[in-house]
Amino acid sequence: MKQESFVIERTYQAPIEKVWLAISDKDQMKKWYFDLDEFKPEVGFEFQFTAGDQEKSYVHLCKITEVVAGKKLTYSWRYEGYPGNSFVTFELFQEGDKTRLKLTHAGLETFPTGNPAFAKESFARGWNEIIGTSLKKYVE
Amino acid sequence: MRRDVFQAIADPTRRQIIHLVAHQTLTQQAVAEHFEISRPAISKHIKILTECGLITIRQQGRERYCEAKLQQLNEVSDWIEQYRKFWTSKLDALEIFLANEPKKKTIKPINKTKRK
Repeated sequence: MKQESFVIERTYQAPIEKVWLAISDKDQMKKWYFDLDEFKPEVGFEFQFTAGDQEKSYVHLCKITEVVAGKKLTYSWRYEGYPGNSFVTFELFQEGDKTRLKLTHAGLETFPTGNPAFAKESFARGWNEIIGTSLKKYVE
Repeated sequence: MRRDVFQAIADPTRRQIIHLVAHQTLTQQAVAEHFEISRPAISKHIKILTECGLITIRQQGRERYCEAKLQQLNEVSDWIEQYRKFWTSKLDALEIFLANEPKKKTIKPINKTKRK
């Protein structure tokens, strides 16, 4: 069954090998994505990270379900203690000396919207926190 | 069975139906004419959409008109919007990371890959 997916695409002025490393190498990932204890681009590898704000943070549980080295990476994405499961896929396409990245986040409809802890406002606050502070620190 | 806006949009045919009636009210028959699948199948999808509160049926004479309830769709777009913001920021951060990462060696493809 087709799931409700969110898709976003970007083209980066960088070779595909470099983008692949950025999304699959632990040391590079922590500079723009999340700081993980360990990351291996292998099917079955599980990782987790906590993200949120002062009031509430969510443990994100992820498990790699598909790897095409240098091209495609898919992992499940769910929240500890809550029902629902989604899948995040990164796909890379070489376009001359640039790289197009297609990100698909499928299965968002499986998350419970009725749960007050999952209200969209708390999500927004959580993400604004991550993006507004940790990201800024890295960028500036 | 689950009946909410997310269930409604989980199916591609139902999403198409929503798109069709989002900007204009159409009769059930007019909706069905846009699809190759059987009219009863379309009726079933429309029924689910009404149960999910995304469409209301208005009987006028012999015709049944499908009207979209767009407020309901906002619930979805608001929800998706959170993820859009999140991933947009992350991919922005990736762009900055890629631009700032010192070039260890320049990898230049000799032949450009051409798609057929």
